[in-house]
Amino acid sequence: MEYLALIAIFLTILFLFLGTGIWIALSLVGVATIGMMLFTTRPVGDAMATTIWSASSGWTLAALPLFIWMGEILFRTRLSENLFKGLQPWMQHLPGGLLHVNIAGSALFAAISGSSAATVATVGKMSIPELRRRKYPENMIIGTLAGAGTLGLLIPPSITLIIYGVTVNESIAKLFIAGVIPGIVLALMFMTFVMLWSFLKGGTSEDVDAGTTWADRFSALLQLLPVISLIGAVMGAIYTGIATATEAAVLGVVGALIMSAAQKSLSWESFKESLLGATRTSSMIAFILAGSAFLTLTMGFTGIPRALAEWIAELGLTPWQLIVILTLFYVILGCFLDGISSIVLTMAVVEPIVRQAGFDMIWFGVFLMIVVEIAQITPPIGFNLFVLQGMTGRDMDFIAKAAAPMFLIMLLAVVVLSVFPGLATWLPSQM
Amino acid sequence: MSSFFCALDRGLNRFYLACGVIAACFLVLLGILILLSIVSRLLGLYVPGLNAYSGYAMAASSFLALAYTFREGGHIRVVMLRNALAGRARYLLEVWCLAIASFFACYLAWFLIRMTWFSYEFEEKSEGADATLLWMPQSLMAFGATVMALTVVHALIKTLVTGTPDLTETAQVD
Repeated sequence: MEYLALIAIFLTILFLFLGTGIWIALSLVGVATIGMMLFTTRPVGDAMATTIWSASSGWTLAALPLFIWMGEILFRTRLSENLFKGLQPWMQHLPGGLLHVNIAGSALFAAISGSSAATVATVGKMSIPELRRRKYPENMIIGTLAGAGTLGLLIPPSITLIIYGVTVNESIAKLFIAGVIPGIVLALMFMTFVMLWSFLKGGTSEDVDAGTTWADRFSALLQLLPVISLIGAVMGAIYTGIATATEAAVLGVVGALIMSAAQKSLSWESFKESLLGATRTSSMIAFILAGSAFLTLTMGFTGIPRALAEWIAELGLTPWQLIVILTLFYVILGCFLDGISSIVLTMAVVEPIVRQAGFDMIWFGVFLMIVVEIAQITPPIGFNLFVLQGMTGRDMDFIAKAAAPMFLIMLLAVVVLSVFPGLATWLPSQM
Repeated sequence: MSSFFCALDRGLNRFYLACGVIAACFLVLLGILILLSIVSRLLGLYVPGLNAYSGYAMAASSFLALAYTFREGGHIRVVMLRNALAGRARYLLEVWCLAIASFFACYLAWFLIRMTWFSYEFEEKSEGADATLLWMPQSLMAFGATVMALTVVHALIKTLVTGTPDLTETAQVD
């Protein structure tokens, strides 16, 4: 009984700290400290210091700031302009027309940025005015952006996948490769939806810029080619095993610098901004990871993960039931926390459950990315929805409704991924 | 506020920025170290400890940038409750957050300093091929955590003295 009371105190403090808005990393440090004091008689502070030191000085983590930096450099090139110009001639003849630019553009940008909010913001900045000018229905513009923006977590190099990999000790290279096919499948599902919508509406592509020649198309594509080949080279180096994820990241940074210099968008100013931006973002994430490493240590002492894993095992849930429960759990959690925080906060508890149920951890990582992304477009608190609200000036009700079909498509993607786990596991098994 | 405190405030903010710039240099160093390890491997050379050094650069970069990131509103937090409140209630919530954050930031800094001191006393070495004396990289981390503690306490005091929330709009991630 006393044990249960301690657990209750521990969880109350956790929710109190996070809910009142104490910075997440410091909340984790605080909760872990109090938890260790409640459950053990060990010297808490020294355990904290050594745990945080080893969590922060690990070599695998080094891929993180470098990929963020690569994204920051490319972000400051003329990429988003080129994205629209380069994709438009290819997409406008498809049923649903330029709405596909939102999806393909997000898929491409996702490969660069790793953050779904940045993907929505960057692609939307170019495409919303263009699509509005051509009189596309507002709910489709917003819906496709909200949905496709979430590809950022799935299509490598994904920052969130690195964090998952570091937290559960799985190969980041394999996780990256595992995300490729599900990411493409999800993008195709979004595009199929747009085409179906277009057929049902009975419309033709009303807005074709007449007289696009093949020469135009290829010259447009040429502008996108450097980015596509850079990402291709980075992923190829990982896939073939020439480079580890960290080494590929540094090659990505060098490539991005060369590209941006060639486009004449590299200046001392833009270099400095990209570097400081990457420094800030990775410092924020590294601090959360350090706090969560300490919380994981405490969680071990509380016995919560083991008890929960045993309890779940006793329930004798089928894998399907477990998948449904975990999906619900993360979608609800995502109402309060961003993707990274909800992953690091729960992994100490969820990892034993998932391992005991015999799930493949690579597959689970991909599953987790989709589920966490679903949370980003679920009202009342979905971060991508907020970004879109800021960009379009529409109210949350309208935006949430526009995103609802995408929400269903992503749930369908979870089902597809569960029925065909090979979508995620086949490619990494070929490495 | 007297001009002395204004000057102190400005000076501290510059100091956080300076730490952020040093952190950025460590990020560049991290990139260079990893490039070196690629090049040395291609040339068939073995340079011991490059991986460990990049880990140290990573830790130094993350922690030295903590305070600067805090000032720039880069650390994420749940802002739902904060946005729902206004006026006095919001101010009190901000004081609560800063007070708890100050306590644990100081706690963390203290024990990282203590760990570094013990590493120095007992001349602890890394277990890897680099055999670095651990207090050297650890002291950068402890220093960063100390500056972080300083900036949170700074924000707390400023909020209390001025009676308005000091922090500029923080990252609205949630």
